[in-house]
Amino acid sequence: MLRGHDLALDYRTGGSVAHAVDNVSLAVDPGSFVGLIGPSGSGKSSLMYLLSGLKRPTRGSVAFEGRDYRGIPAGGLMRLRRQRFGFVFQQHFLINYLSAMENVMVGAVRRNHEMAGYAQELLRRIGLGDKLEKRPYQLSIGERQRVAVARALVHRPTVVFADEPTASLDQTTGREVINLLADYRARGEGSLVVVTHDPAMLTGADRVLQMRDGKLSAA
Amino acid sequence: MDNPLSLRHFYFRNKRKVLPVIGILALAILGVVVTDSLLASARETAYATYGSYQKLILVAPRATRDQDLSNPLQESLTRLHDVQLQVDALDGPGGLSSYYAAVTAIPAQVQAQLPAMRQLQIDAANARYYAARLRGDLVPLGDLIVRVQRLQSEEKAFEQLVQQLTQNPNDPRALISYLQQHQTLLRTVLPDSAQLGRLQAAGTSASSDAAGLQQSLQAMSHDTASLNAAGRNVADLPVPPSPSATIDQFKVALDRLTASLGSFQSPQPGLDKLVAGSARIAGTAFVKRDAYSNLDINMLAGQAQFDLYGVDQPGMAQLLSLYGDRVILGRLPRADGSEIAISEEIARSRQVWIGGKVGNNIDELDRLPDAFTVVGIIRGPTRIGVIPLDYMTEHYLFERRYQGLVVVPQPGHEQAVHDQLQTLIGDSAFRLFDWSYIKGKIDSLIANLDVINRFLILLVTIVLALVVGLLNNLFFRQRMNEFGLLAAVGYSRWGLILRVAWESLGVTLASWLVGVGLGVAVLSWFNTSFIVPHGLLMNVFDWNVLALHTLPIPLMVFLFGMGTVGWQLLRLDPISIIERRD
Repeated sequence: MLRGHDLALDYRTGGSVAHAVDNVSLAVDPGSFVGLIGPSGSGKSSLMYLLSGLKRPTRGSVAFEGRDYRGIPAGGLMRLRRQRFGFVFQQHFLINYLSAMENVMVGAVRRNHEMAGYAQELLRRIGLGDKLEKRPYQLSIGERQRVAVARALVHRPTVVFADEPTASLDQTTGREVINLLADYRARGEGSLVVVTHDPAMLTGADRVLQMRDGKLSAA
Repeated sequence: MDNPLSLRHFYFRNKRKVLPVIGILALAILGVVVTDSLLASARETAYATYGSYQKLILVAPRATRDQDLSNPLQESLTRLHDVQLQVDALDGPGGLSSYYAAVTAIPAQVQAQLPAMRQLQIDAANARYYAARLRGDLVPLGDLIVRVQRLQSEEKAFEQLVQQLTQNPNDPRALISYLQQHQTLLRTVLPDSAQLGRLQAAGTSASSDAAGLQQSLQAMSHDTASLNAAGRNVADLPVPPSPSATIDQFKVALDRLTASLGSFQSPQPGLDKLVAGSARIAGTAFVKRDAYSNLDINMLAGQAQFDLYGVDQPGMAQLLSLYGDRVILGRLPRADGSEIAISEEIARSRQVWIGGKVGNNIDELDRLPDAFTVVGIIRGPTRIGVIPLDYMTEHYLFERRYQGLVVVPQPGHEQAVHDQLQTLIGDSAFRLFDWSYIKGKIDSLIANLDVINRFLILLVTIVLALVVGLLNNLFFRQRMNEFGLLAAVGYSRWGLILRVAWESLGVTLASWLVGVGLGVAVLSWFNTSFIVPHGLLMNVFDWNVLALHTLPIPLMVFLFGMGTVGWQLLRLDPISIIERRD
């Protein structure tokens, strides 16, 4: 479904070249849970940016459902991210002046009653059914991240990319967030690509891949 | 389900950030509306004040004050000096006084023998009395002539100033220099205009005393003849020789002075011919003699002289009919009264009503002499003031001189009548004042204010564009996470720019509406409480001001704010925001 082939991402700083991703090939199958672990600066987030179309690789190719990103214009990649992918980042990036419910609806592709009902269901499912109208500053850090997860799932994405979603949370809360994502995968609604430096968060993953110095190896 | 990124959500959830921006912009727009409306009011008031020129042409003596009046005044002064010298000679040593002293010193025995001698003594005493009076009369007469001359030179200096300012409207040095040099002098000279009428009175008094003196001198000649007729050789008597040569010289000087004063008491030469010629021009509705004068009024942009038409009574009715005006209170002035009828706006401007007084005695800046009683209030589309021609020309020396004529063309013949009038006037000492000339003068006077106003609007626009643009940028930076996330999850860059554009447009549009609304409210209040009571004119709903002149501010603020924010949005890298660990 999602395939990266011989991916490389170089950063040029002055005269030197840093290889953030170095000849990595990777496939994410439908309904799979792929974990990427590795120390800071190992290139795992960069690999996720390449797979999700947030960045173009220096070399190599990415294809989603057989369509090579190189043949998709910038606008097409944006639509792909908007409609088919979901994103959870280390920070929640909730919009301060919107309620929890409205923040979730930011991720919705269509805004209708069905979508609103699904957003409410998601929030109830993650334990925030009584906090639909709360603003981000009225929620705990864990609750905010759970709202961010709901925002990433509301449009039923084919692939959910989570970049260090538990890094700013305590162990228990982090586990809850991972469980929410895993539950989405378990319901058969999409695949998961989770980037983390904490192997404990990837206990339910189908595959855990280790990144080091831009290269990939099985953990 | 509403779009959570809708403008409604944005505005209502960010009131504390949006409202101050709206407030600042609205206040600036309010300022522009008020200053611009006041300027428009000044222009409209000026147009309305001189609106009577739209339907008539005033033919007035050209440069009367500078040339035609100055020369006779100078000549009169010279003649007056001659008369003074002759009076000195007449009344001084070897003149009447010594003659009278010698006559009265003749022994009583001789006087008793000759009754004619007693009469000679009486007549010589009378002559001495009139000579002394005449000396007294000549002092204020000379003083007045000097003052009038000073007034002429002041007016000349003022006209030069106007010319300099017209040529270099942006150079205030001429004005500053004029004010520095002439301010004190102006204060002392201006009241002189009130005393111009006294020149005639002083001349009349001098003439009367001179006539008395002449009679006494004639009586003395007769007395001398009587002495001779009595059979006594006057030469045998100790009667001194009569100062007849001195008397003759005095008579000549006095005749010259009288002629000189008369030359500027008469109307401008050629006026009668001009009146007759103007009436014959095809397309002329009517022609009236006009002893015009002025009232000083406040026109918001400064003091101005409101033109009064000094016409006969049929002429007053014709002028009112011409403009569609009517007397709503009181009546038109009588021919022989110091009376005036004025438009209600002018009455309000001067804060007078029926029974009130206007004129030089009330306001020293009025050219209308003495004090005229308001007997009529006029209402109608055109502001007008009428005074009686006869009263003006019979009572005031200079009004005869300033007499002109009003020529009213028939509709559609304005230009033709104007051209033919110009031909008729030729090189004579008259000139035409019509609407195009008056409007041009008003526009040129307000032109500088227009430039200042435009500069202020430009300055306000630039400053506001910078301030609000910076606020926008600050606000944008606070929302960087929001835009970073939206860009990362697939919202298009141009979609985000469009969203910010709508937000900015909403804020600037709201500011504009609030500013214009506040402006209308403030102007309505100001119009009711100040403009109307002072006889000024203001169009509160001048869409030219409300819409066109205020639009540059929100437009510039929007473009500048959007330009900078849009540029940042185009360059926005969502990954750099996502990876920020703060």
